[in-house]
Amino acid sequence: MELLSNLGLGAAVALSPVNIALCFAGCMLGTLIGVLPGIGPIATIAILLPLTFGLDPTAALIMLAGIYYGAQYGGSTASILLNIPGESSAVVTAIDGHEMARQGRAGVALGISAIGSFVAGTIATLVIAALAAPLAAIALIFGPAEYFALMLTGLAFAVLLARGSVLKAIIMILVGMLLSTVGPDLTTGQLRLTFGARWLADGIEIALLGMGLFGIAEVFRSLEHGEARQIKEAPIGTLLPNRAEMRQSVKPILRGTALGSVLGILPGNGAVLAPYASYTLEKKLAADQSRFGRGAIEGVAGPEPANNAGAQTSFIPLLTLGIPPNAVMALMVGAMTIHGIVPGPQIMTKMPELFWGLIASMWMGNLMLLVINLPLVGLWVKLLKVPYRLMFVGIVIFCCIGVYSINSEPADILIMGGLAIFGYGLTKFGFEPAPLTLGFVLGRMMEENLRQALMISRGNAMTFIERPIAAAFIVVAVAMLTVGVLPSIRRGRDKVFTE
Amino acid sequence: MSGAGGVRLRSPQNLVSGLILIAASAFVVWMLSGLSQGTMRVMGPAMLPRWTAIAIGVGGLVLVILSAIRDGDALERWHLRGPVFILAALVIFAGTIRQPGFLVAAPLAMLVAGFGSREVRPRELVIFAVAMTIACALLFRFALNQALPMLVVPALSLNF
Repeated sequence: MELLSNLGLGAAVALSPVNIALCFAGCMLGTLIGVLPGIGPIATIAILLPLTFGLDPTAALIMLAGIYYGAQYGGSTASILLNIPGESSAVVTAIDGHEMARQGRAGVALGISAIGSFVAGTIATLVIAALAAPLAAIALIFGPAEYFALMLTGLAFAVLLARGSVLKAIIMILVGMLLSTVGPDLTTGQLRLTFGARWLADGIEIALLGMGLFGIAEVFRSLEHGEARQIKEAPIGTLLPNRAEMRQSVKPILRGTALGSVLGILPGNGAVLAPYASYTLEKKLAADQSRFGRGAIEGVAGPEPANNAGAQTSFIPLLTLGIPPNAVMALMVGAMTIHGIVPGPQIMTKMPELFWGLIASMWMGNLMLLVINLPLVGLWVKLLKVPYRLMFVGIVIFCCIGVYSINSEPADILIMGGLAIFGYGLTKFGFEPAPLTLGFVLGRMMEENLRQALMISRGNAMTFIERPIAAAFIVVAVAMLTVGVLPSIRRGRDKVFTE
Repeated sequence: MSGAGGVRLRSPQNLVSGLILIAASAFVVWMLSGLSQGTMRVMGPAMLPRWTAIAIGVGGLVLVILSAIRDGDALERWHLRGPVFILAALVIFAGTIRQPGFLVAAPLAMLVAGFGSREVRPRELVIFAVAMTIACALLFRFALNQALPMLVVPALSLNF
C-alpha cells in the first residue's frame, strides 16, 4: 500500500503540466541527437545536459530521464534502419532488426521494439519502486569501508564485462581514476596534476569526458570509412505488428524484461550484458535457430526490452546507494551535483517528491516514446537521410554548444578536443573507453571513502577484512577478477559478445 | 619483425601502448613529486594518484612483456584528415565564441570542420552551415534559453 501511495505522490509530481512538457521535450531532443549515427546515450546526455541547468532539480531530472529514454529509442531506430548502432547494447538489435528492415518490415521492428520497451519500462518501474526502500535501508548501515568495498566490486564486475583484454580493461579503469584526481584534493584543497592551468583547477567535467570520448572521437572513427552508410530505400511499412507477430513476441518481451531488470541492478554496468544474454537465450529456446540473423522478430523482441529494463533498473544503485553503475548514471550524478543533490539513500526520505517524481516520469517517458515518438518515425528517417559528410559537422557544433553551455568557458572546448584525440588513440591501441568512464566517476568517491575508512580505523587497512559486509564485497570482487582471468570463462564470455 | 636477442615481437600494438603507459605513469609520478603522500591514517593528496599511476606503469610493463610472448594486433593506421580539421574547428570556435559570438563562431567552425570529410562539397557545406547556425541560434538561445553570446562587437557597441 505504501508503494501505491508513493507512486501516487510521484505521479502527482510528474503529471504537472510543466513536467509533462519537459519530459516530452527531453524525449524529442534525446531522440533527435540519439538517432544520429554513432552517438549513443552517453554522448547525447552529455550534449543536452546543459539544457537542464536552469530548471529546478526535480524538473531537471525528469527532463534528463526523458532525454535518456529518447536517446535509447533513437539509438535503436538508427541500428534498425541503418545497421549502425550508437552503443554496444544496440548492436544486438541491429542483427535481426536491420535484417527485418531490409525485408521491408522496418516498421514492425520499430513497433515491436517500442512496445516491448514500454512493457519492460512499466515492469522495471515497479521493480525500482518496490526495491528502492529496502535497499536504501540497507545502504544506511554502510560505512565508508563498505562503500569502498562495494565500489571495488562494481569495478571488478565492469572488468569482467568489458570486451577484449582483461588487463586493458583494468588499465582503463586505473586511467579513469587517475583522471578523476585532477584538480583540488578534497581535504587539503591542494591542486593536483593541473599543470598550473587555471582551467584545470576544478578538475575535468564528466560531460566533457562523455562528449570527447564518445562524441567527437566517434566522429573521428566514422570519418575513416567515408560515405559507406546509406539508408535503404525500402518502405518502413506498418508500425503495428500483426497478431501472429505479437504472439511470437510476448514471451521474449517478458523474458527480456526479467533478464534486464536483474542484470541492471548489479553494480558495474550489468545492463550492458542484458541484450546479449536475451539474444542468446531466445536463440537457444527457438525451435528453428536458423531464423536468427535473418529477421527473426524474437531477435528484436527480446533484446530491446532487456536493454530498456536494464537501463531503467541501473537507476537503483544510483538512487539507493549513490553509486553510479555506468557512464550514463555517472552523468546523472553530475547533473544532480550541479543542482546540489547528493545521490544516495537519503534522497528518498529527504526529497520524496523528487525521488518518486523521477520514478513516475520514467514510466511517463516510456509511454511518450510509444504514443508520440513512434508515429514520428518518418521524421527520424528523414534525418537519417542527411549524408554523413554534413551530419558530423552538426554533431561537432552540437558538442561545441553543449560544452560551452556548461561553464561558458572556451578552454573546455579545447579540453574536449584533447579528450577526443585521446579517445581516438584508445581505440587505435585496442582500449575501450567505457571502463575509463566508470573509473573516472568512482575514483573520486573511492578516494573519499578510502580516506574516511582509514581514518576511522586509525590507518589499519585490515578494516576492509574485519568488517563482515566489506569483507564479503572484497571476496566477491576478488572472485570476479579471478573468473575474468580464467581462460575457459573468458572464451565463453567472448562467445557471448561475438554472437 | 624480430627484436634483439632473438625475442620476436608478436604484438606491436601492445608494445607501443605499454611503452606509452610507462612513460605517462613516470610523468605523473614526477608531476606529483611536490605533493605529500601522507600516512595510511591521514592520506595526503598524492597518495591515490601516485599509486594509481604506479599501477598503470606496472600494467604497461606487463603489456610490453606480453607483446613479446603472445600474438596480438599490429599497429593501426591513424587517419589524420578528420581529426586535424575538426580540432582546427574547435580551436576557432573556442577563440571566437565570446567575441564576436556564436553567429560568427558557429559558421566558421562548421566550414572548417566540414573539410574533415573526403567527400566534402563546399557549396552544400556553406548552405548547411548557415542553416544550422540559424537553427541552433533559434533553438538554443530562444527556445531553450541558453546563455550563448550571439553577436558581440564592442566597436559597434553590439552585445546581443
